[in-house]
Amino acid sequence: MNSLEFIFDGDVVEASVERAGENFRVKSGDKEFLFRPEGENLFSCLVNGHKSLLAVVAHQGKYYIDYDSHQFELTDPSEDGFAGGGDAHGGDKDKIFAPMPGKIVKILVSVGDSVSIKQPMVVVEAMKMENQVNSRANGTVKAINFSDGDQVDTETPIIELEIAPEE
Amino acid sequence: MSRLFKKILVANRSEIAVRVMNACRTLGIPSVAVYSDADQNARHRLMADESVHLGPPPPRESYLDIDKIIAAAKDVGADTIHPGYGFLAENPEFATKCTKAGITFIGPDAEAIKLLGNKVESRIKMVDAGVPLIPGMKGAAKDPNQFKNAADEAGYPVMIKAAAGGGGKGMRVVHTPEELQPAIEAAQREALNAFNDDTVYLEKYIVKPRHIEFQIMADHHGNCVHLFERECSIQRRHQKIIEETPSTAVDHDLRMRMGADAVKVAKAANYKNAGTVEFLLDESGHYYFLEMNTRIQVEHPITEMVTGIDLVVEQIRVAAGEKLSFDQESLRQRGHAIECRIYAEDGENNFMPSTGSILHYSEPSGPGVRVDSGIRLGMEIGIDYDPIMAKLIVHAPDRDLAIGKMIQALNEYKILGVRTSKRFMIDVLNHPAFIKGETFTDFIELNMSERESSEDVLREIGAAVAACAATNGNSSGAGETVSSSPMTPWQTIGQWEIGGTINE
Repeated sequence: MNSLEFIFDGDVVEASVERAGENFRVKSGDKEFLFRPEGENLFSCLVNGHKSLLAVVAHQGKYYIDYDSHQFELTDPSEDGFAGGGDAHGGDKDKIFAPMPGKIVKILVSVGDSVSIKQPMVVVEAMKMENQVNSRANGTVKAINFSDGDQVDTETPIIELEIAPEE
Repeated sequence: MSRLFKKILVANRSEIAVRVMNACRTLGIPSVAVYSDADQNARHRLMADESVHLGPPPPRESYLDIDKIIAAAKDVGADTIHPGYGFLAENPEFATKCTKAGITFIGPDAEAIKLLGNKVESRIKMVDAGVPLIPGMKGAAKDPNQFKNAADEAGYPVMIKAAAGGGGKGMRVVHTPEELQPAIEAAQREALNAFNDDTVYLEKYIVKPRHIEFQIMADHHGNCVHLFERECSIQRRHQKIIEETPSTAVDHDLRMRMGADAVKVAKAANYKNAGTVEFLLDESGHYYFLEMNTRIQVEHPITEMVTGIDLVVEQIRVAAGEKLSFDQESLRQRGHAIECRIYAEDGENNFMPSTGSILHYSEPSGPGVRVDSGIRLGMEIGIDYDPIMAKLIVHAPDRDLAIGKMIQALNEYKILGVRTSKRFMIDVLNHPAFIKGETFTDFIELNMSERESSEDVLREIGAAVAACAATNGNSSGAGETVSSSPMTPWQTIGQWEIGGTINE
């Protein structure tokens, strides 16, 4: 029996696995699964009476998974560089980032504007498509760090907000 | 068999380049790939018999550089160029320069591309030919007042479209007069970026339409036929993601009328080679000509599956001056085919483009399952090009069986490292409205905005399978071990033959 921990969406999930012939018997939470290897990175499993093919590959401290076409990642907490899975900018609701490296088509707000959650803030062009980025908080525009036409990466905030205190 | 051409250069990348090279193999003609710095490792480059480097990743310096591509063809002794779709496929200057250089351009001539590429001019031509059109502006305009007047006349909602457009770029729906001006500006910006031409026009927006298109094939001997319809109503951001044929909304009589009008469009434009005539079909069975695309279409495989015709082989034969290998009467629709487009995008996050390295790649297979793929293990998916990675196509005796087969094939198609919309498309295919054939272009907005999250299951099964992988020692990353064996593209083609029976 081999017990392992993974991070899924910020939470720790445990799984204990043992070999059963060429198959794997795994317990996770209150559920038990039997996996059968089906080739490189592939396993089949009976879930709720329905046979699924799963793909999984470990890469740089993350497990990339496809189960019934749900694509998601788990993080191995023992790997160096674990920084909490999920959205890289999950906590920074006061900053607006480009979803992809691209070009700023139009900034739709000005410093001092009060903005509300889901309000369009900026249009970024990537892969020849315009993507609208919306505010994730209510607040006031504190700073705008780029102009229309600028190239942006995903690491530098385009717009910074002063978040309104919750009522 | 004597060769139709000495050598064909494929002026494109990704899945369509691979697809064209397949047809070259079928005909025993050597193929030449062109590639940018970003595509050194790309599947299309490795598939070709030889390859020529074009330059840096930006399309203007590689796949859109006409002079470089023609020089490449000259260098390797290619007497023919197939443009695929996108890039230079509908660029009349490219067609002209090929001809001047003594190279056969596989497609219609520059005149037809020019006429049909300009939606404003082609509208005028098609009115004369007696093809039904959507009410709207008679020509292009710059003056905001012209747009305002045309919108008032046609009645809201209206649609702004790029004159040089396609693929949903430079298109905006406007519901109220207040939205009009910002929509025109946004459409002009997108049109300028995508087509280097900011001309836009306005027409009435048809509510609850279906997108029905007809495949056309015409030779240089006066033969022009249609190969029936494709329904492409399932779209996100005005881009198709699921296509099928036959359409549930088209009966024999309507099919014959629309097909005849599609042939009329092609003849009015003196069209040669493969093309697609797009119509909108409204709920009362009225249809309107939208545009004719002067290239092989992304979704051409579903037509191939039901007719048994290899359209790209036919394109090459026609370009070489041969007669069409079939006539209208000999064509039949056999069974039902569906295509799902596999884009590098996150179907769970508003179809946001997704990038990364392909960490795992394995394709589904079996009777009636076809994969047209441009990707392989270890390939880097960047932001330089259109995000289409592959297409999954299934063929079955009827629609219900095709839907079931597609869901299974999507689940067996494993691509890790880059997000796709596979799950989203499965939810579409499983939706009662889709199963009933209620496929209108607003299907996704209407039916897919409230989707259930299945995160609860994912937590345990994800941890469980990760534990198996950790125990099994599966840790191959991109490019480290290349032991999965993506099927070679020419193995995945063709479960059909003319007059054959479906073997399942």
